[in-house]
Amino acid sequence: MNKEEIFSVITQNAKEIVPDLDSHEFQWDDKLVDLGANSMDRADIVMMTLESMDMNIPLVEIAKASNIGELAALLHEKQ
Amino acid sequence: MSMSVGIEAMNLFGASAYLDVMELARHRDLDKNRFENLLMKQKAVALPDEDPITFGVNAAKPIVDALTSEDKDRIELLITCSESGIDFGKSMSTYIHQYLGLNRNCRMFELKQACYSGTAGLQMAVGFILSQASPGAKALVIASDISRFVVTEGGDALTEDWSYFEPSAGAGAMALLVSDTPAVFSLDVGASGYYGYEVMDTCRPVPDSESGDADLSLMSYLDCCENSFLEYQRRVDGVNYADSFQYLSFHTPFGGMVKGAHRLMMRKIVKAKPSDIEQDFEARVKPGLAYCQRVGNIMGGTIFLSLASAIDNGDYSTPRRIGCFSYGSGCCSEFYSGVVTRDSQNAQSSLQIEKGLDRRYQLSVEEYEELFKGNHEVRFGTRNVELDHDLIPGVSETWKGTPRLLLNAINEYHREYSWVS
Repeated sequence: MNKEEIFSVITQNAKEIVPDLDSHEFQWDDKLVDLGANSMDRADIVMMTLESMDMNIPLVEIAKASNIGELAALLHEKQ
Repeated sequence: MSMSVGIEAMNLFGASAYLDVMELARHRDLDKNRFENLLMKQKAVALPDEDPITFGVNAAKPIVDALTSEDKDRIELLITCSESGIDFGKSMSTYIHQYLGLNRNCRMFELKQACYSGTAGLQMAVGFILSQASPGAKALVIASDISRFVVTEGGDALTEDWSYFEPSAGAGAMALLVSDTPAVFSLDVGASGYYGYEVMDTCRPVPDSESGDADLSLMSYLDCCENSFLEYQRRVDGVNYADSFQYLSFHTPFGGMVKGAHRLMMRKIVKAKPSDIEQDFEARVKPGLAYCQRVGNIMGGTIFLSLASAIDNGDYSTPRRIGCFSYGSGCCSEFYSGVVTRDSQNAQSSLQIEKGLDRRYQLSVEEYEELFKGNHEVRFGTRNVELDHDLIPGVSETWKGTPRLLLNAINEYHREYSWVS
């Protein structure tokens, strides 16, 4: 997957976990925490994204991503 | 046949006072809906004349008192497990040994590895029993902690979720008598998956405070939950996460985190559907959460608090296997298991843990805040202090008739306690 596709998978999962985001226009520098996702929600979004990318890496390796764009870049790098 | 080993008796001391965390959340202006998802109800609060030593003694006292003097003298190992030590050299086990009146022919020491310490203590005690170096000997393992809720200032790694740490941080002790007559929890010997690595998630880098990155800690907890089970599965034939354990006990920082970890395991390992996951949570996990929701996170003892809750609140009409996941930041983790019978449940219920929780004094938010503002806290390294047992009138009324160990004073660093009824 390229970065844009990964970004899209993350935002789809974010909408599924936080239904309020259904009509949100996601930006690369959006922080999930600012969008109302608590730490458990964020972990769920990351795990669902890893599943759809068929990736199995330790979650702690991607915990440092501070916004959705960084998360997409990190996942792109490690896939 | 291999010998039995495990927990002969287990008891909680969940403090003398507690705070309703919904009241705290309102006071701190935390989002109500988000807060409800965390599945917290009460947090135990240590008063200034209580410390991890009084907690440990008060937890162990009913267990020790129920032993014959011969059996009591067979306690040859006393391990305190804590991240709230009161001295860098002297172990809290020495005071606890004194106030429980144990045999002097007893090994005493303290160990730490954040919230994994209780499991580390249990497994060391189990190793001592299994070694048969002193056949018939017993071990007392006491996991006791008091939260230091003042977050260290500075640094930008602290996430806003750290404000959710305060309501989850409890205080309390679990005492476990470990022996070759495991009346309460018969450990599956060798059935252990341990997993750990270096990570800076949460820690106590200075004496009276805690620091951490809530996101990193959650991720690490989830990584360990999966990998410790996979190692357990590799070592034990014919195991599967869905059927091998009728109950699951988790290290429970707060209920919502356990719910998330269970969801991860069911989705990833069992490939279960969301509706089945919810049902499984209610059936296998919830019995173990009840006590945790009333005490908060007591660090090393939390896994046993969850285990005691699962034993008291489960159905043991036939013997059941409980799977236990222990995690301590830093980090080390372990998945292990044991068997509980109807007799085990009867033995456990005789300690009336729930009744003890019901008897506690409910603090108002104002009383709670006054405890920390009014310079009442006994800080690490205090050289001399006298404690007031009536700081909050009404607390001692809740345990009238049952003597309780309290801290009277610190005299040239030496802690002086007495039984107050």
